[in-house]
Amino acid sequence: MKPAMTSDYKDIDFNQLKRGGFIKQQGPDLFVMRLRSIGGYLTSQDLENIARLARKYGRGEVHLTTRQGVEIPGVRLADYRELIAEIENLQLLPGACGPRIRSIVGCPGREVCPNGVVDTQAMARQVDQAFFGREVPAKFKIAIAGCPNACTKPRENDIGLQGVVYPQLVVDRCSLCGLCQFICPGGAIKIIDGRVTIDRQKCCGDGACVASCPTGAWTAGARGFVLYAGGKMGRRPRLGDRMFNLIPEDGVIPRINSVLQVFIKYRQGNERLADTIERLGSGGFRELILSLSREEVAAGGRE
Amino acid sequence: MAGNRATKRLDITGDCCPITFVKTKLALEEMQPGEILEVLLKDGDPLANVPRSLKDEGHRILQVQQVNSDTYLLIVERGKGE
Ligand code: SF4
Ligand code: SF4
Ligand code: SF4
Repeated sequence: MKPAMTSDYKDIDFNQLKRGGFIKQQGPDLFVMRLRSIGGYLTSQDLENIARLARKYGRGEVHLTTRQGVEIPGVRLADYRELIAEIENLQLLPGACGPRIRSIVGCPGREVCPNGVVDTQAMARQVDQAFFGREVPAKFKIAIAGCPNACTKPRENDIGLQGVVYPQLVVDRCSLCGLCQFICPGGAIKIIDGRVTIDRQKCCGDGACVASCPTGAWTAGARGFVLYAGGKMGRRPRLGDRMFNLIPEDGVIPRINSVLQVFIKYRQGNERLADTIERLGSGGFRELILSLSREEVAAGGRE
Repeated sequence: MAGNRATKRLDITGDCCPITFVKTKLALEEMQPGEILEVLLKDGDPLANVPRSLKDEGHRILQVQQVNSDTYLLIVERGKGE
């Protein structure tokens, strides 16, 4: 049964619809309403509201997406306007689909996870604010992990951010307890002749020494994010390349912007970022990023 | 040396997280501030996680010794907290 074009349908705001989040599903006149979280958190109030919307407009169930979103299946087109108005009222966040910057995935980070070395949630909010929903030539995914364990799989995303902290030794605090040399995962720390030494080449920046050192001799030196670019999954998966080793927190947004500018400028055909980087080479792409002028980066930005 | 002052010894080599830390925490709670606990544990997750959790709770690792290829001995001073 094909639903007729009733007047209800003509009221639909196509600009609103275009921003995404409302996706055709199997079955006549049925849609999925996709909501997003920022970095994977929803408040208990959000959950109650979502539950109510799913009962009212859907089938009383939700599907959890791989990008930390919540989808309400079984919604009718005729209910779209009312549903989107309720969503706005309740301050829930619609998701995105199509060639846009998708929802920002994030692990709990240092607020919750003992391994975390950066505040992933604050970064997720910043990145969401700056980029979510932006129209770009191809779908574009960003994930943030709080440490080199990379639980949110940053390298499977167009851009992946991963927290790192590089340690600094305050020698006179050290009690030579021996702990750091045993727990350093890369074997970067050795105690030689009663002195703690570090081989920076072997340090992965997970901050285990800083977190564990009982005397506070290991302190956080440089803290920031590694940026991976050019990852994707799908039919031809590719892991992102390590483009930048240490971006300070306040440098992340401009850096993502510059990756986008180079992608938009040099993309050919239907390429995803992964394909463009594959064609130009990781080093070549990086050079192009570094050669962008300040103005170009700023022009691509938004408040 | 510090080992001689130990008032208690705990073997958590057969345990995995979070039992490792919970047992260590309970043992320390039964002790007085300043007393010494020896903890025998495996490398990998226990060695990576127990020391940093002890630090979070205000206890202090005085010494770590490698007992054999995959087993370590922590010498812990009970902190002043709860
Ligand atoms: S990536 Fe690191 S900080 Fe984030 S959840 Fe995994 S272990 Fe914790
Ligand atoms: S863990 Fe800290 S106190 Fe112990 S040897 Fe290493 S730097 Fe020194
Ligand atoms: S940050 Fe991690 S890898 Fe680097 S020296 Fe410390 S424990 Fe070793």
